[in-house]
Amino acid sequence: MKEIVAVLGLCGLLLAGAPHPAQGADWKMDPAGSRLEFIATFEKTPAPGVFREFDARVRFDPNKPAGGSLDVTVKVTSADMNIADVNKEIRGKDWFDYAGFPQAEFRSADLRRTEGNHYVARGTLSLKGVKQPVDVPFTWTASADGATMEGELTVKRGAFGIGTGEWAATDVIGADVQVKFKVKLRKAG
Amino acid sequence: MHDRAASRYHVGMLRNTADSWGAPAKWFHWVMAALILAQITLGVMAVSWRLSPTKIELFFWHKSTGVLILALAALRLLWRLANPAPALPSGVPAWERAAARSSHLLLYVLMIALPITGWIVNSASNIPFRIFWLIPLPAIVAPDKSTADLVALVHRGLAALLALVLVAHIGAALRHHFVKRNTVLMRMLPGAWRTP
Repeated sequence: MKEIVAVLGLCGLLLAGAPHPAQGADWKMDPAGSRLEFIATFEKTPAPGVFREFDARVRFDPNKPAGGSLDVTVKVTSADMNIADVNKEIRGKDWFDYAGFPQAEFRSADLRRTEGNHYVARGTLSLKGVKQPVDVPFTWTASADGATMEGELTVKRGAFGIGTGEWAATDVIGADVQVKFKVKLRKAG
Repeated sequence: MHDRAASRYHVGMLRNTADSWGAPAKWFHWVMAALILAQITLGVMAVSWRLSPTKIELFFWHKSTGVLILALAALRLLWRLANPAPALPSGVPAWERAAARSSHLLLYVLMIALPITGWIVNSASNIPFRIFWLIPLPAIVAPDKSTADLVALVHRGLAALLALVLVAHIGAALRHHFVKRNTVLMRMLPGAWRTP
């Protein structure tokens, strides 16, 4: 009997000591349901590509976005534009420079609601050794098994030295690259 | 019946006759001749240029011109089928007639087959392309590198064949004019349509 009371007591202690859910809940990305696309232009025609490998760590409460954070790491070397010759070319120094900068990051600790379920994450994009402030607008949709963040933004490739030398000219390969993402999240822990 | 006579004269200018080409046939001939020569030049430059924005521009113009040539070739083929070609002069031997007939047929085949093989290469390479920046060109085959490589080889082979047939075509036209001294070259020249 004493032992049972002791075990129950220990259980109670463990429960009380369990981490209390923070106000901004932690979320982990479900890679299978997530997608990160970039759409360049080629002779004024959209040329889509994807980053096959990336990860997002999110601390977010849709009702209280302040205090949340968004950390995204992108394996740049997983870029795929579905054109054999182009995939070979973008590895090089003029483009993504896989050898020098295999990873890109976006970090934000400044999340705000713009309206309804629309939010914006103000942060810093580190890509090819360049850090630039970037606003990432997104929508937050809660579902039974988690939540989905979706959004798109336009990035100037020239600001990050994507396409240097003669490729810096924007008449053949456009200046703007559209980035679209859909991130499926599950509550972490 | 003044009007009827006038309209018959007008139709006569457009349609081919037994010994002369009508204006549309000449227009197709010379516009396409200019486009095809430009197209061969663009194609050779595009493949030989090192990878650069210029190379992409060359391919862009080559592809756009190719689609234009395909559309014109289809219209021209219809016009040719609806209009008898003027006869060759009576003194032309049978082998020359056969050579003329088969080389003209081959030119039509190549005017259609070259753009279509180019289109297959573009589709198989999965390269996004809008004709003259305007109209997206739909893919006619699924993206596949080995298809692209193989059909590109066929495309180049057909282009080489076209160059050979064009040399024969131009050589024959000059021979008709300077050696045989007949009207075969002259009657295709613009403005010469009035000559009987």
